[in-house]
Amino acid sequence: MAKPVVEKRYTLSERIYLVEILKGMVLTWRHFIFNFRASFRPGPHTVPTCWQYPEDRREISPIFRGEHMLLLDEQGRELCVGCGMCAKACPAQCITVKMAKVPEGEEGRYAGKTCSQSFNIDLLRCIFCGFCEETCPKGAIVLGQGYELARYTPEECQLGKERLISNFRDAKAKGTLKPPRKPVPVAGEAAKEAEEKGSKAKGTRTGPATARKAAPPKA
Amino acid sequence: MNDWVIAIIKVVFIWVWTLLVAVVMTWVERRGAAMIQDRLGPNRAGPFGLFQPLADGIKLFTKEDIIPANANRILFILGPILFSLPAFSAYAVVPFGDKIVIAGKEIILQVSDVNVGFLYVVALGSMAVYGVIVGGWASNNKFSILGGLRSTAQLISYEVPWGLALLAAALVYGTFSLREISIAQQGTFLGFLPNWGIFRQPLGFLLFIVAAYAEANRVPFDLPEAESEIVAGYHTEYGSMRLGLYLFGEYVNLCTLSALMVTLYFGSWHLPYLNMEAFLGPISYGIASFLVFFLKVSFFLWLFVWVRWTVPRFRYDQVMGLGWKSLIPLALANLFVTALAIQLTV
Amino acid sequence: MVNECVVNAGHSTGDYVTINIGPSHPAMHGTLRVIAQTDGETVVKADPEIGYLHRGVEKLGEHLTYHQFIPITDRLNYCSAIANNVSYEMAVEKLMGLEVPEKAQLIRVIMTELARIADHQVLVGILGVDLGAFTPFFYLIIQREEIYEIFEWYNGARLTNTFGRIGGVEADLPDDFDARWRELRPNLFKAIDETDKLLTHNRIWMDRTIGVTAFSPEDALAWGFTGPCLRACGVKRDLRKDEPYGLYDRFTFDVPIGKNGDVFDRYMIRMKEMEESIKIIDQAYAMYQEMAPDAPLMAKVPKVIKPPVGEVYHATEAPNGELGFFIKSDGSDKPYRIKIRPPCYMVYQAFPELVKGEMIADLIACLSSLNVIAGELDR
Repeated sequence: MAKPVVEKRYTLSERIYLVEILKGMVLTWRHFIFNFRASFRPGPHTVPTCWQYPEDRREISPIFRGEHMLLLDEQGRELCVGCGMCAKACPAQCITVKMAKVPEGEEGRYAGKTCSQSFNIDLLRCIFCGFCEETCPKGAIVLGQGYELARYTPEECQLGKERLISNFRDAKAKGTLKPPRKPVPVAGEAAKEAEEKGSKAKGTRTGPATARKAAPPKA
Repeated sequence: MNDWVIAIIKVVFIWVWTLLVAVVMTWVERRGAAMIQDRLGPNRAGPFGLFQPLADGIKLFTKEDIIPANANRILFILGPILFSLPAFSAYAVVPFGDKIVIAGKEIILQVSDVNVGFLYVVALGSMAVYGVIVGGWASNNKFSILGGLRSTAQLISYEVPWGLALLAAALVYGTFSLREISIAQQGTFLGFLPNWGIFRQPLGFLLFIVAAYAEANRVPFDLPEAESEIVAGYHTEYGSMRLGLYLFGEYVNLCTLSALMVTLYFGSWHLPYLNMEAFLGPISYGIASFLVFFLKVSFFLWLFVWVRWTVPRFRYDQVMGLGWKSLIPLALANLFVTALAIQLTV
Repeated sequence: MVNECVVNAGHSTGDYVTINIGPSHPAMHGTLRVIAQTDGETVVKADPEIGYLHRGVEKLGEHLTYHQFIPITDRLNYCSAIANNVSYEMAVEKLMGLEVPEKAQLIRVIMTELARIADHQVLVGILGVDLGAFTPFFYLIIQREEIYEIFEWYNGARLTNTFGRIGGVEADLPDDFDARWRELRPNLFKAIDETDKLLTHNRIWMDRTIGVTAFSPEDALAWGFTGPCLRACGVKRDLRKDEPYGLYDRFTFDVPIGKNGDVFDRYMIRMKEMEESIKIIDQAYAMYQEMAPDAPLMAKVPKVIKPPVGEVYHATEAPNGELGFFIKSDGSDKPYRIKIRPPCYMVYQAFPELVKGEMIADLIACLSSLNVIAGELDR
């Protein structure tokens, strides 16, 4: 298994090093000047490609798969019926749900006939695949835009029901709720189903494409 | 004023100045690299992140000083000192301005005008290699020893073309004193060019700058500390201020080399086509000459940064090949042609 | 073979230094480890440790349903998770005999090619970093960020995308895809061009890469090379062209091949392939735009996927080479056995052969140019 011998053929400008190095230096100089000028712009977001994190945050996709939340409907009732489909679909098995009948006298708090007695998501295990969200028949569990997931103790990583609902309330207050999913047209029965669902879900999943960047340097 | 006091003031001034430049260089390097790479770089500590070197220094000073278990303790401690001392000392013979007249006393802006300034710089440059090899060997680490060996081979190889390029320059000016060389660069050359060394020794300058990059272990010759190959080379095992001394010594080296380049090839404190001495007062002339000199030095310091973030790194054998097969023959040819030209014209 | 590396350094004295490169070393991508015996700077023997990051991915597959395995495939070659997702989904679809709607296939093509560009960008950038040129890495990675934003707006994740479902894709392209792609396309060309300017004709780069760890096509085939590493040796083999799957037979694109199989060729192949991928995306997106907005995105699949008893092997051209999934089904909702053929496994086997007699610096360059991803290699 002799190694092939490779003949090196260089042109003159390649051979003398300097020409190509100088060309490269011109290129890097352009970038330098562009960013140097940009860095004097006001505001934390100066160089177009650089986000100065705590005070200057990039736009997060409206359908980002971040920290979970449990949705409430317009009357403030929990949508979750505790069926446990999410727990079943979860590849990381990080969800535990206990189903219970809605206690008497508390029908106003729950949208369904049953509810989740307890609902726990283990953030330490979650891989943020979004399968729970996709499986949920009621659209009750949603992955939100929260991406700052660092915690001090493992206990804080256990998202109980209160935390999940308060996540929802925060998101609602901030206006970062996920738009409803567009129905996925399925081959064959597409036409029929799309008509039925289309009337229900009009929202789009996509956010506006905003102009986030200045023009890159002219090369 | 006593001569002693003046000498001490000059020493302290150049010491502080070099340190300051080296400190600011770490900041310039990081910000410059960031700007070249479409980033921002350290900008949190102080205005424009200017206090970042200070924070780094505090960090380095307060970190735990670790000496590896099987390291040679004495040499391990000696390494960084051997490396940084010559770097600081070399600046002593480089003139950083013309002269300043204070209270009727003429003070030359140079710590000491040694008549063999050249040799002194070259000798000290060779000393630095001991710091590298001693540090690399004492660490008792395979990556360190590889880095130390690479560095030694590289420094010794590139000292030859470096010295030959310097020799050609010495032939042109007929002196070893850096101050006399600086003074000789006033006026014009061939009637229209500034009388700078680069126009008399273009090839010599090219050789000098390439060799200087190799002497300073800078990209594309940074293989003694090639991060992706041998972790950090000879200072892999170093931490705290010992590492700081290595890094610092490197930047001081850059200062010295840049100053040397300016002194030899870029007219030191002279502005092209302009005799500042003719229309500036004695004190303002001294300050202006220093500023002009410093401006030129800053350009070369920036060039170090600029090149570093543009080109890839050589391989060990390619560095040797370039040094021995290309630079040394070129340097010899340059020396020969220079000597011939001088012989014919004088 | 690994242990039989013959010492062939010219002035060998038999007195070698063993250097442990990795698992934590600045040039090791992931947790790779190479135990190298060196004679000065020359590597006389390199012993790569395969299996350091073994996570039992295949075994995990036996305990997860067919759908649940998709997020696991993200974690194989995490530089181009979508290519893995698609490859796995296609294998299951082949097993079930599903016909995936055309629009879904087009979306898959677009996303896979974007992932391929992202993967190649990482490789070229990292190769530059390992050879000391830090700057091109940033020019490329900034554009990769934009690709990741397309992914993020598509289904909410940037790196581990969990793209697609068995039988189709989970969503249509977002409305702003058009704007994003229009903005990204010239920038991608520009980033490739700038990298080209900084590296390709630079003599230092050429010296470092041309002829370094060259490999003959016969050897490459014998070692089971696939993908860019094989094409760099001069073998024109691309599954997208030779055994077209999905819609790849509808697109016109070139398969760039090299000559020497050295680091330079591997680098150039990737640079050219990025441009070819952009071509494919252009064509696929033009086709996509002609589709009806409510065209189906999913085949009719049961809620619980239970493929018939049988086995299947399906391979796709992942950015690294042939990525194959072998799935054996016993008729239940979980695979009986999943076997993954990762492209860099075969390539990495030949690593001792490749670097024998080269220098330490070349070992690093070779490793980067092979694009060995520990997650995929050790599974």
